[in-house]
Amino acid sequence: MRLGTKLTLFNTISKLVIVVLFVLLLPSLIRNINQNYTDNWLRSQKDKVLKLVKGPGIKNYIQNGEGYGSYNALLKEEYVSLEVDSVDTDIDTIVNEKRLVEGDTIQYRILSHTFKTGKTNYLLEIGKSVDTINETAAPLQSIAFEILLGMVLLTILADQIYSTYVLRPLGLIIKSKLIGHKFPHHTPYKKVWTTTSDFEYLDISIHKMIQTIESTFQKEREFISNASHELMTPISILQSKIENMFEREDIIDEVKVRLLEMQKILNRLKSITKTLLLISQIENDQFLKEDKVSLAILIHEVYDEISIRLQEKNITCEIDIPEEWQLAGANKFLLFNLFFNLINNAVKYNKEGGEIKITGQLENKTFVVNIADTGIGISTEQLPHVFNRFKKFSQSLQQDSFGLGLPIVKSIADFHHIKIEISSEPGIGSTFKLIFPVELMEV
Amino acid sequence: MNVLIVEDEKALTTELEIFLANCNYICETCYDGTSASEKISTNLYDFILIDLGLPDYEGLDLLKEAKKYNPEAACIILTARAEVYDRIKGLDLGADDYLAKPFSLLELQSRMHAITRRKFGLKNSVVVLGEFLIDLTNRTIAHSETLINTITKKEFDLVAYLILHKNRTLTRSQLSEHIWGSIVNDDYDSNYIDAHIKNIRKKLNAYAPPDWLETVRGLGYRISINN
Repeated sequence: MRLGTKLTLFNTISKLVIVVLFVLLLPSLIRNINQNYTDNWLRSQKDKVLKLVKGPGIKNYIQNGEGYGSYNALLKEEYVSLEVDSVDTDIDTIVNEKRLVEGDTIQYRILSHTFKTGKTNYLLEIGKSVDTINETAAPLQSIAFEILLGMVLLTILADQIYSTYVLRPLGLIIKSKLIGHKFPHHTPYKKVWTTTSDFEYLDISIHKMIQTIESTFQKEREFISNASHELMTPISILQSKIENMFEREDIIDEVKVRLLEMQKILNRLKSITKTLLLISQIENDQFLKEDKVSLAILIHEVYDEISIRLQEKNITCEIDIPEEWQLAGANKFLLFNLFFNLINNAVKYNKEGGEIKITGQLENKTFVVNIADTGIGISTEQLPHVFNRFKKFSQSLQQDSFGLGLPIVKSIADFHHIKIEISSEPGIGSTFKLIFPVELMEV
Repeated sequence: MNVLIVEDEKALTTELEIFLANCNYICETCYDGTSASEKISTNLYDFILIDLGLPDYEGLDLLKEAKKYNPEAACIILTARAEVYDRIKGLDLGADDYLAKPFSLLELQSRMHAITRRKFGLKNSVVVLGEFLIDLTNRTIAHSETLINTITKKEFDLVAYLILHKNRTLTRSQLSEHIWGSIVNDDYDSNYIDAHIKNIRKKLNAYAPPDWLETVRGLGYRISINN
């Protein structure tokens, strides 16, 4: 999940939880507030009554032991009653109780207070109808809920906008610097504009890392290129010297055989150097891709080159490539070398009297060429390393190859964006599957 | 024929000189571009071999000068910097051929030979070997009047190369460099020259024994022509 989505999701959920909690708490909160307010009001009313009683005297309200009562005539929201209390107890409470007022039973919040004047105990009751107290609760609740909901939506929106804004540079860094970044990368560094120092730091760090990797890459390529170039001249001198010596009549055949051995070893050095140079030239983009190539013709050309090797090992080779398959924007020399090395491997690692099948078919509207052999195969552990330079597996074949065949294939395939898939079963054979990119197909 | 060798690597120049002198070329050498430039503007040559990697001179400039003052001369570029663009540029500027170091001296000779043949329009290039007629221009081998069409391109290349370097023992390495030199692969010792020679002999033997194709024990192959 992307960071932006995660943040939005978290914001929304956390805010919704708070809203729900608040809405659930709201009724009891309002009730509490109302009750406190009412209780305070009742107490202040009590104080007023007590003042009145102390001032003008209780006689104004109670005569002949008959109680005094007063209430709002119509709605009976509030009432006050004052009467002689026969029992000598001390009461000072506020409770919810029912009272019968003119035939109506009404729930009141009632303050009861006893006090003494002279020798008589009096009980004062002040009540307020519970309905009146609670009548503000419902609208209050709904207003609070609406305002809250509005505010929450507003903050979610604001959060969303801000986080999108603030995370934009991160998205840009990921998109432009990380996704689809291919080495070697030649586009110059473009700073991602941001005011967030963390992202700035990230951007610069990624840039520096890429620079380090690229300069290492570049150095390696330059080194291989320079080293192989520099080796060419001494090899050339040695080769010429051996060739000239070989011609001299004063040299006996025994020495000539030695010279021949030297020539063979020099050839080995030459092959390795030439191969490394070729790989470095491919990696440095020094080849043009301007040729039109007919796959069937190309593979038959390779077959002609290799037929002597097939014949030596008595291997049958079956080629089934549609004649109309044309590639455009390719490099024929390189493709020739790609197929040569693959088919040569199929011969080299094949058994006496084995088979090679080269077939082409359309898969997902693109050319796919399979090169299948009945050779020694590649084990699962070896499979990931077959394209590594100088990696050799089969002990018996160490004598005549130096492990650069498949690296050449890989370099050429990468250069043309051809995908290679290998499937192999040790002892049964290997299949190299070449998947050509659509851009290479001639329409 | 006069050859000017422009190559800053003295050891290589010496070998080129020895080899070409043996092939009856008259050689002059220089190790830097400045003296080469002087020689090019004053003397006439049939061949100019130019190393592109001269320390004091842009090799391609030397090529331009050669084309100006020695328009008849065939220029062959020798270079260790086998850059593809260099090659295209060199051939664009009128170089007759291009050899990437390291090259075989035999290959150089065969290229020079081909240029000579082209220049002088040599048509008559039929070589008689025993009962066989080998036509180097049309690339055919015939026995009396019968054209032998079973010989493959590679096999003919081998025979032609041996004929070009007649009376000289060519090693398997030299032969395989000639016919497989442009292929880059990771075999260094598995040359199939013997198999090819075996095939050639088998195919020709159906007509007459090709005794002229000699095996030089332990060394290689040779075609001897006495004339």
